[in-house]
Amino acid sequence: MTALPAPLPSAGPPHLTRWLLRLHRPALYAWTALVLLTAVLLILLQGPFADAAAEGWRQYNSCGFNARCVYDQSAILRYKDWYNYATLATAAVPFLAGAWAGGALLGKELESGTARLSWTQSSTPVRWLAVRLATPAAVVTAGTAPLAWLHHLAWAAGRGRIHSAKEWYDVGTFHTGGPVLVGLSLAGLAAGALAGLLVRRTLPALGLGVLLTGAIWGTVLVLLPHLWPTLGRSGRGYLAAPSGSWTVSQGGTAAHYHVTYHPYAHYWPLQLTATAVLLALTALLTLACFLVLRRLTGRAAAR
Amino acid sequence: MVEYRIDRRSGVATYVQIVQQTKQALRLGQLRPGDKLPTAREVVEATAINPNTVLKAYRELEREGLVEARRGLGTFVKRALGTAPAAESPLHGELADWAARAREAGLDRDDVAALFTAVLEKHFQGDN
Amino acid sequence: MTDTAIAASALGKRFGRRGGWALRDCTVRLPAGRVCAVVGPNGAGKSTLLALAAGLLGATEGELTVLGTTPAEARTRIGYVAQDKPLYPQLTVAETLRMGADLNPGRWDAAAAERIVSAGDLNPGSRVRALSGGQRTRVALALALGKRPELLLLDEPMADLDPLARHELMGVLMVQAAQHGTTIAMSSHVVAELEDSCDHLLLIGGGRVRLAGEIDDLLAAHTRVAADADADLAPHTVVESRTTGRQLSALIRPAGPLPADWRTATPSLEELVLGHLRNPGAPALTPDSASASAPDSASASTEETVA
Repeated sequence: MTALPAPLPSAGPPHLTRWLLRLHRPALYAWTALVLLTAVLLILLQGPFADAAAEGWRQYNSCGFNARCVYDQSAILRYKDWYNYATLATAAVPFLAGAWAGGALLGKELESGTARLSWTQSSTPVRWLAVRLATPAAVVTAGTAPLAWLHHLAWAAGRGRIHSAKEWYDVGTFHTGGPVLVGLSLAGLAAGALAGLLVRRTLPALGLGVLLTGAIWGTVLVLLPHLWPTLGRSGRGYLAAPSGSWTVSQGGTAAHYHVTYHPYAHYWPLQLTATAVLLALTALLTLACFLVLRRLTGRAAAR
Repeated sequence: MVEYRIDRRSGVATYVQIVQQTKQALRLGQLRPGDKLPTAREVVEATAINPNTVLKAYRELEREGLVEARRGLGTFVKRALGTAPAAESPLHGELADWAARAREAGLDRDDVAALFTAVLEKHFQGDN
Repeated sequence: MTDTAIAASALGKRFGRRGGWALRDCTVRLPAGRVCAVVGPNGAGKSTLLALAAGLLGATEGELTVLGTTPAEARTRIGYVAQDKPLYPQLTVAETLRMGADLNPGRWDAAAAERIVSAGDLNPGSRVRALSGGQRTRVALALALGKRPELLLLDEPMADLDPLARHELMGVLMVQAAQHGTTIAMSSHVVAELEDSCDHLLLIGGGRVRLAGEIDDLLAAHTRVAADADADLAPHTVVESRTTGRQLSALIRPAGPLPADWRTATPSLEELVLGHLRNPGAPALTPDSASASAPDSASASTEETVA
């Protein structure tokens, strides 16, 4: 247990952030552990695991149709399995953020009355909420940004070398390997916070936080293909999108067939527009949080 | 130093209880001129009564000329109350005789108390 | 510092757009330096009034001035303890006080807060979650008093405390009032609990103010009378009257001299409160409604408080 330094009798601003971190120290430790473990796993995937799996595939490919082919199958499976676990752990972050913000961060404080305890110290409810949104947002960003980057590297290490590697548009891969992950986590945090302020009870708010986060993710999934103009082909015969591109739609008849798709070149435009949409949504949810707080505490809460 | 005991069930207003107990202490010599009354803080800490009640009682005592407030120092006894008949005074003796006669006449404690109170009420009506 | 701690005029609070009124038409004035009992049955609106004064709720209608300004502006000068004494269970007692210091920079009186806690024989290293009800109340009070409030709002502070802890903590509060002239407003549904400690009463019933003023004035304004059953109580204001056989007994506010053959007595505070709660139709008595104002017998300046 780290002892806090004795406060100086100064008249500076109240140290809200310090106490927020102290109150949620176990969550902070758990979050740090999750980020570190996942990061270590992703570094292993990107380095030794990907190299071994690529070597396995090289052996396999050199076999041709030789029935007595010898190749390192376990290395291929190890990369595949651990990649999936790492993706799952990373993809859970937005939900964890939503659940925690709804339950522990706000739902519990409003249910037990400690929110009112804080509001009757020397700072306003608005400041109280601002600190409770900004500090976790900073912590979540600090954790998810490196995770997303490492996840992208772990995926890119297999691209073109490991045939069983995921495509760039695979749901788990796309949403955990770029700024979209940061956007989703921040939106989850804000959605959880709103759930906490609306429901004001720990467990229901936790559940609603997860549900809202899921709804946000679902919306992004539906919107994603339309966030950047697709390329298309049409003509006679059953056409297919170029290899490595994400087919968005295809149909028609043999005489007149069309296909629309996103090539890999759209990866970053799609990442960035989806992130922008998520950040806009986060801003709206945050605004809603402050409006609900004002309804709870009255107009004068800011002063 | 006098210590006040507040009896919530007595039906006597709290500040009156303080006034009475102070006077009692003055009569019995527990408090003498120059003595300091407990501060309001000391009284309320021990009794949990309202400080204004203590101040009201002290003002009443001051009005009667028994104590004086010295700014920043406290409240001090100004004069003693020596008028209460001591145990050897004639009044005490007469009352003791009367009590003995009442007992002989078959009155019990409550009867005597009721009789005494009724006479007190009649003779000291309006006094406090 | 103004001489008025709380001034409400036509204050009302409704929860939700269609909800019922938790408090309505509340017009009261609490002078500074008083210890005020906010009394009423459960659900009468006591907590709502205290939360409004603490700046925790916004009023639906009416005006509320606290310490000469809005409740939100006065936030740093108000101490508030909610009914269930919420504290962060994961903190230790010492940490809770350090938090009070950090969250109230420039106001915190560490010595006072620690004195209250140590008087309760509390280990500063204990976690709040492990404390008993009385110990929690003590810590919550220490947190509220460490802020050096000019106005202390306490919602049912003595509920679920044993008599010893109740007496002790009430003593702590009275010392605060005596030493610093702190205005204290505390609610309870048990009037006897507050009778000796308070000099001001605010009786709320059904979301409305029924009685407000100095307790001595309120008692002086009322008389318990017993008379013949056919006695005419007019022109006095009748709070409650009951006829048993040939006897009429009533609680009235005399509007003038009473007939000599009526037997009269001063009501107790509890009788006064119960009489008004039993008879919701009885006219309220608040400083504005008092036509014949009673003598200001309890006015006490807090300057001469402690020497």
